[in-house]
Amino acid sequence: MTAVAEHADTHDSEPHGQHDDHGGHRTSLGLSNMKLAMWLFLGSECLLFGALISTYLLSKANFITEVMAGNPNVTSTMPAELMEEFQAAGSVEPFWDIPFTSASSFILLMSSLTMVLAHKAVSEDDDLQTKVWLAATALLGSTFIAGQVYEFTAFFREGLTYDGNLFGSAFYTLTGFHGVHVSGGILMLLSLLFVAFRGKLNSSRAETVELVGLYWHFVDIVWVLIFTIVYLIP
Amino acid sequence: MAESIVTTEAVHGEHDDHAHHPTERQYWVVFVALAVLTAIEVAWSYAGLEGAALVVPLLAMMAVKFLLVAGAFMHLYFDLKIINGRIFTWAFGFSLLLAVIVYLVVFAAFDLLPF
Repeated sequence: MTAVAEHADTHDSEPHGQHDDHGGHRTSLGLSNMKLAMWLFLGSECLLFGALISTYLLSKANFITEVMAGNPNVTSTMPAELMEEFQAAGSVEPFWDIPFTSASSFILLMSSLTMVLAHKAVSEDDDLQTKVWLAATALLGSTFIAGQVYEFTAFFREGLTYDGNLFGSAFYTLTGFHGVHVSGGILMLLSLLFVAFRGKLNSSRAETVELVGLYWHFVDIVWVLIFTIVYLIP
Repeated sequence: MAESIVTTEAVHGEHDDHAHHPTERQYWVVFVALAVLTAIEVAWSYAGLEGAALVVPLLAMMAVKFLLVAGAFMHLYFDLKIINGRIFTWAFGFSLLLAVIVYLVVFAAFDLLPF
């Protein structure tokens, strides 16, 4: 009997549940079915956010054209001073608070680090570190959401409403959808934290944490795109 | 027996998967790189540049950040090494290329490209 076959017999005698906790047996592809399913889901999410970002860019270009032409219909909800600022800048740049959004971006990037550290901790059966990093990730995500709520409130008071013009609709839909995704991720993290406090989160469930991590990093990646395309490029 | 060997290789592959993930130090290095790139992006946006001189470097830095998060944090760089079968890799790469081309065509159609 070869060494490989001996290993096979050993593993065959193990309860199937041990493998299932990792998301099932490996496939001939080399990835577990759960991980592949998550990647396919994230692929579909790429299409969703791709469409939202494209819509935003098109509506922004149209909005700027209308503002430069002095069309009062598209800026009826905004104060005249802001309209003048738009015309002077030739872009929607006067709206954004770049230092504030940069801080939000940094917070979300940091949450990606704490997420991978949580996955590493659970892989190494480090219970305390797992709880600390999961809680830190959820807290950083919540801080990001709080910042987004503050930002939305400020924009609304400045006159950028959801139904005022297509630009406002596209902006709130894009960033709002992202915020909803972050909120969903926070719920997943809190669920994992709950399981961890019940003492049932260990290395046998490392892939579950990795799957939540994949989702969380994807949300972070989407923000990397939004931050540059929406906020930094005028 | 053949089935057993396949199962064993799969299980070992799983352990190797975790073993090939980055170390904690490497995660911190990636995070610092992301933070520095974000700072450069913000500084670049305040540099008073216009057109392609402003947009192209910003998009390049965005792409690097995208690849760093996907490659290191999402383990894509490491998982691609263990995925069996070139067909999947090619299909994934072709789909990604197709998506990029479609978006570029749409943006070009609406005159949204900076060049």
